[in-house]
Parts: sequence; C-alpha cells; structure tokens
Amino acid sequence: MLRTACVHLRSPLFSRTLIAITLSWLGIFVLTPHLLVMMTSVLTPDTTNFAVWPLTFEAYTRLWEPLYATVFLDSLYLSVTATLFCLLLGYPFAYLLSRLGPVWRNVLLFLMIVPFWTNSLIRTYALKLLMGNRGLFNDLLMGLGLIDSPIQMLYSGFAVTFGLVYILFPFMVLPLISSFDNLDKTLLEAARDLGASAAQRFWRIIVPLTMPGIIAGCLIVFLPAMGMFYVADLLGGARNLLLGNLIKNQFLVMRDWPFGSALSVTLILMMFLMLAVYARANRRIQRKGGLDDANFA
Amino acid sequence: MRISRSLPPLYIGLIFTLLYLPITLLVINSFNISKYGYVWQGFTWKWYDKLWHNTALKDAFLHSLSIAFTAATLATLLGLLMALALYRYRFPFKRTASALLFILMLSPDIVLAITFLIVFMALGLQLGFWSLLISHITFCLPFVVITVYAQLKGLDRNLLEAAQDLGAGERSLVRLIILPVLRPALGASWLLSFTLSLDDVIISSFVTGPGYEILPIRVFSMVKVGVSPEVNVIATLLLAISLVSAMLIALLLHRKKDEKT
Amino acid sequence: MKKRNLLLASLLTALSTAALAEGKVVVYNWSEYIPDGVLKQFTEETGIKVEYSTYESNEVMYAKLQLQKGKGYDIIVPSTYYIAKMSQEGLLKPIDRKQLTHFKNLNNSLLNKPYDPGNQYSVPYLWGSTGIAYNADVIPEGSITRWADLWDPKWKGQLLLTDDVREVFHMALKINGHSANSSDPKEIGQAYEKLKTLMPNVLVFNSDAPREPYMAGDVNLGMIWNGEAVMAQQEMPNIRYVYPEEGTIFWVDSFAIPSGSENTAEAHKFIDFMLRPEIAKQCSQEVGYATPNRAGMKLLDEKTRNNKTIFPDSSVFETGEFQSSVGDALKLYNDYWEKLKTGH
Repeated sequence: MLRTACVHLRSPLFSRTLIAITLSWLGIFVLTPHLLVMMTSVLTPDTTNFAVWPLTFEAYTRLWEPLYATVFLDSLYLSVTATLFCLLLGYPFAYLLSRLGPVWRNVLLFLMIVPFWTNSLIRTYALKLLMGNRGLFNDLLMGLGLIDSPIQMLYSGFAVTFGLVYILFPFMVLPLISSFDNLDKTLLEAARDLGASAAQRFWRIIVPLTMPGIIAGCLIVFLPAMGMFYVADLLGGARNLLLGNLIKNQFLVMRDWPFGSALSVTLILMMFLMLAVYARANRRIQRKGGLDDANFA
Repeated sequence: MRISRSLPPLYIGLIFTLLYLPITLLVINSFNISKYGYVWQGFTWKWYDKLWHNTALKDAFLHSLSIAFTAATLATLLGLLMALALYRYRFPFKRTASALLFILMLSPDIVLAITFLIVFMALGLQLGFWSLLISHITFCLPFVVITVYAQLKGLDRNLLEAAQDLGAGERSLVRLIILPVLRPALGASWLLSFTLSLDDVIISSFVTGPGYEILPIRVFSMVKVGVSPEVNVIATLLLAISLVSAMLIALLLHRKKDEKT
Repeated sequence: MKKRNLLLASLLTALSTAALAEGKVVVYNWSEYIPDGVLKQFTEETGIKVEYSTYESNEVMYAKLQLQKGKGYDIIVPSTYYIAKMSQEGLLKPIDRKQLTHFKNLNNSLLNKPYDPGNQYSVPYLWGSTGIAYNADVIPEGSITRWADLWDPKWKGQLLLTDDVREVFHMALKINGHSANSSDPKEIGQAYEKLKTLMPNVLVFNSDAPREPYMAGDVNLGMIWNGEAVMAQQEMPNIRYVYPEEGTIFWVDSFAIPSGSENTAEAHKFIDFMLRPEIAKQCSQEVGYATPNRAGMKLLDEKTRNNKTIFPDSSVFETGEFQSSVGDALKLYNDYWEKLKTGH
C-alpha cells in the first residue's frame, strides 16, 4: 500500500498554518457542539432546563425497543436505494458530460444545478403536481392509452424514491464529474490498442480510476440522506417515521434532549461501524484501486 | 452504430427534461392568475408586481444570495486548505479531524441547529449575518473536503515527488501543480456549497437573528397562509438570470477558443 | 454665539425626541400572518419601527426562545397550548391590561380559556378550528357528520389526517366520550386502540398545507383546518367543511410578550393597535381566519360574517374543545404516536 505522499517539511510555516486552521475550525464549530451532544445523551431529561444531572444511560437502554430498529431500517433502506439510483443514473451522465469538451461540459453542469437553486419546498410541491391523480404523469400515461384510470403514484414508495433521487442527483454528479476529469484518456487508448473490449475497459480502467469520485458521491448522497425526512414526508404521506422525524420530535416536541442526543450519537456510531466494515472488507477483496481509505486515514 | 451515437444526447436530454419539468411548472404558475396552481386561470403579471412591492421578501432573497455566495466561496477556500492538510501532512488528531467531517454530514439538521446556537451564545456572538455565515460555512465544509480529496487521490503522486526532487517548495508545489489539477473539483465544490446554503431552513432559523431574514425561512413560514406565487416569481427570475449568464459565458468561452486557434 | 448655542440646543432636543420616538418592536411570527399594510400603518402612526422575523412552526419558535432565555423578541404569536407551556416555564411577561385600551373589543367566548385563565399572558389575534373536509362531487352531501364516519372501512387508504399527535388523538378521545385534553393513561390508551383501527384508512398525514391534497384530487375526505378549507373553496366550491358532532378542535393564535423583551411599552402599543376594530377586520379579511374581535367582526362584509366555515354557530362551541397543555402525559401520547406510525 502506498504511503500518503511523504512530506519533508520544507516550508513548515505553510503546512502548520493549514493544520492549525483545520484543527481550530473543526475544534470550535464541530467538536465542541458534538461533545455537548454526547454529554447530553447521558443526562436526565428535563423540560425547562433541557438536561440535568444525574448521569443515566436510560436513553440508550430505550434504544433497544424494536420500534427504533424499524425506524432505523426504514431510513437505511431509503438512503441506500436513493444512493444506488443516483449512482446508476448519475455515473453515465457524468461520463457523457465529461467527454463533451470543457465549454459544453461546464455549461451543462451549470444548467444541471440551476433548478436546485429554487426553494426545495416549492420544488417538492411541483413534484406533487406532477405525480398527483390529475398530474402530468398520469395524464401522459392515460393519453398514451397505457392505463385507463389514474394510478396512485403520490404517497407511495415510488414517489419517495423518485423525490429523493431528484433532490440528491446533482450531489452525486458533481464529485463524479471531477474524477472523470482526472481520467487519463491515453490509458483507454492504450487498452484499446492492446485489444481490450469495451466492457473490459470500463470495468478494469474507468471504474477503478474513478473510484474516488464514486466513493465521494455515494458518501455525499448517503450520509445526509440518513437524517432527511422532509421530502419523504411530503411525497410519502408521512405514514412512516424516519430517523430525522424521530430526532426532530425529541428535540422540538417531546423536549427529551438526552434521548434525541442518544439517537444522534447512535446514528453516527452505526454509520462509522458500517464504513469500517466496508473498508475492511474492501481492503481484503481489492488491494489496489484506491478503495482502501474510505476514512481519509 | 447510429443508435449508439444518438444514445448519449438522448440520455442527457432525458435527464435534463426530468430535472426541468418541475421548474417549468413553477415558471408557468408564476404567470397563473390562480394562487394555488392546480388549474390555469389565465395570464397575469400580478405576482411580479406583488413581489416588486414586497420589500421583506425581496430583502430575504438578497440576503440568501449574499450568504450563499459568501459561504460557498469561503467554504471552498477553507475546505481546500483542509483537504490539502489531510492529504499532504501527518499531524496529531488527523483521524479525529476526518471523523469530525463525517459526523458533520451525518448529524441531523436539528442537532446542528441547536448546538450551533449554544456555541454562538457561549461565544457572545450577535445572531445575524456572522452567525449565519459561520454555520453555513461549517455545514458545507465536508462536502468540499470530500470532493477535493477525491480529486487529490486521483492525482499522480510521481508528479509530486518529481517536482519535489527538482527542488520545488511546498508552496510552489501547491500553486503550480496541485491547484491547476483541482480546478474542476473546486468548481464542483462551490456549486455544491452554494446550493446547500441557499436551501437550508432548520439551521438558519435557529442561528439567525431578527435583523437578518433569509428566503427559505420565509418560504417555509408561509405554509400558515399558503405559499404565495411570489416564490414562483423568484424561482423564475433566478432561472432566467442563470440561463442568460450561462449562455453569455458559453459564447465568451467559444470566442476565446476561436481566437486561440 | 449665544444664538448659535441655542440653535444647537434646540437641534439636540429635536434629535433626542426623534430618537425617543424611534423605538422598535421585534415581531416573531408566521410569514404574511399580519398584512404588510397594517405594519406600515403602525409605524406611520407611532413612529415605532417593526422588525418582522418569521418561524416555520410553534416548536421552532418555542425552542429558540427557550434557548435564548426569552430574549431577542418583543411579540410572539404562539398557538393555544404553547401559551400554557411557555407561561408555566416563565418565558412570558404578564400583559398589562391597563395599556390596552381596545381589549374590550374581544369576544368573551374566546377569552379566559384553560390554556391561559384570565388572559394574563395572551391576547387572542386570530382563531380557527380543525374539522372534517369532504369533496361533495364524490361523497354524497350530508353523509359525513361525525369523526366516527372516518372509521368506515370503505375509506381504506383514502383519508388525510393532520400530522399532529394532539389533533389526531382528539378525534379518538372525543368519540370515546373523553376530554381531548385528557391526561389519564387509561383514556389515552383506549384512544390509541381506537386509532389503530383507523390507520388502514389513512393515505397521508399533512400539516404543511392540508388543502393541497384535496385540491389536487388525491384526497376526498379527512381532517382540515377551517382556514385551509376556505382557501380550497375558492377554487373548488364543492369542498365542504364539517364541525363533527363529537366536538371540533378549536385553536387560537395569540399575541404574547416574551419574558426577555426589551421593548415592552412598544409591544403593548403594538398589541393595542392590533385590537382596533378596523385593523382586526383587515387582518381577518386578508389572512382568511376568524377574528376574535367582536367590533372588528361587525365591520366584515355580510358574506364573510355569515360564512359558517369561518364563524361557527354558538352550538359548536358547546361541544368543541380548546387544546390545553397535558403536562407529562405528552410523552405517553407521543409513545403511542410512534407506535401508530411504525405499526408496532
């Protein structure tokens, strides 16, 4: 395994500044708040003072109720499907855009992101207009004679997945595209000259070389999706609880901050566990290809 | 052969159609007499006129744009520095630093919102522009770092080592070799951050003060009386400005390229 | 020289009185919930500037004020039982009735409610109810009269409920003949059992804009807020609003002054201004909800005044209930709510 590019500190001032900025910003605005969260999670809930002594692990014991497993699995399922569909749709899209030449590539990339500058609430309302019983999709299907009466699209799993993929799509494409830019075209030509088939070139060269982009895109889509609930609520009818709902409820409605914090801490731990397992499995299967450090380390 | 050649544009076209379909509805409804937009009741400019006179909404929109612009720029810069530090150097708490970036992406909005507010109050910071800016920069950071880091990983390390052997200092290495390669990733990061910042509600509603309202809060707050089509007007204007500037940029770049050849 | 000093002095006094008059009041409220014109008129008449800040839910407003220990805002507009919660926790300042010359305009049947006995902390601004809506194009006129009608198995997968624990439990508690503000674990448990049988009928929970699914034709029956029903009727006249026989849900949005307010005098002036009949009328008309201001109501046009969806008959008041704080029982409600939604 390659070591991180070894550095002889030729300009210590430069590198030290970078490190100092990194650590201090993350320390003040990320570490401190999350230490607070961890501390809160082992305190006793109190409606006026949020959380008080004595220490207790009650919040964590509550987590074992089967109900919370359902919530977690529902959220996980949604995030995973959203990530997969984003990747399936976004990968060829990013590939095609990257081959267009810099001007068109940049213009189309910009045009792809523009719809997402519109407020997500009204964008989601627009999606509802499309998928409703009298919406465009149903009109289209009936016009084509594929169905006789409108099918219930809204408030279904289909609507939720569609909405999530729609909302998250550019977050997959942007990191992917920059890794396609790294792709050395001469390698592909060499492979072709040596008689590699299109499939071979794709799986043996393109995919491994863009793996950092794939990982980045999947992380950027998957991790935030675990805490999302708004789109799912609007399009799915809010009949299921998701992790995001549950945590928000604890903080805002129930005023049980310790339990809310415990949920948040557990979510983070579970995800780290999953990433660690994934990284280890990958290291074993594939010793090269850049998959070895999903964790930056 | 012909099918395979027409497939790529078809695919790109399909994706763009899907992306723009909901936005088209909003554009149409910005001219619709009906407030609710389920039926077309005729053409009108009245929502444009209303927005023109709605100072509060216009202000919120401008605030949103300026926060998003500043936050995206600074987050991209700061994220670049962090990605470089994580990629190039070894230092104490490095693993912690990268773990913190992951935690930041995983933490539900409400958790970040409340903890940010507590930190700002502890620091004695007046709630408003600065508190908003700091929190927006912070929640955008991991997206920038991951994107930039992914591209750094694709970088040919031999190149860096060769440059170092030839006596390039750390700074010139970054400036002459790393930065040019990172341009696409930096562009992508800026766009990601701008988009994220423009759409945040929960965190912003906790960390902003009465003097600095931003658009998403106002829009979500409209649910009580029904979201006004003025928001569609804003969407339409933003879309129009973006499309025109995209065309201008494309034209300019094309001309530049022609001049070069 | 002397003259000059005099001039300076008078200038200074002029400046300082101007500065005095230029107080401000920071209002924290739903966006567009007070018409722009009304705010402008207030500033023109009193010289007090209005800083209007918005929130997207009672919960966010409450959490933010609690974190800031009641500071930062001068006027807030919490709904019904948030008044009870916030006053119990010392987040509200008592209102000085003497400074409110127009308080007498208010309708007595909307004062002195359990969430704020004697209206020590709150002055009603607008009020409404949560009842049943149905589309008379699809469902026979008059066939829906009670909450219990929603339980009919023929509505499988078709209903809309508001995404609000207390409102949904209100239905079941009322059907069982209990108070909607019950904190008795047995009654709440019974209500849960009742609601479990309703779940198969539910298509969607919506507390963002319950009118939308009706207007889009995705839903023909379910719960709705009366103001939303009025909005829907503008484009779909066949949307009917029903006050259920078992008792409707009433809610009131009231003005209150947070305990950390720094402009209390201006806040009182603001509330008093909002209590003027012509202002109350204007707000009610533009926002679309009922005004508790009796003098203001008289100024409304006859059609609005007689619109039963907005202003119900007095008999509705006899069965209906205002939400009040349920104390620690809220946890029980919420546990059951989580169970309902996860199907455990």
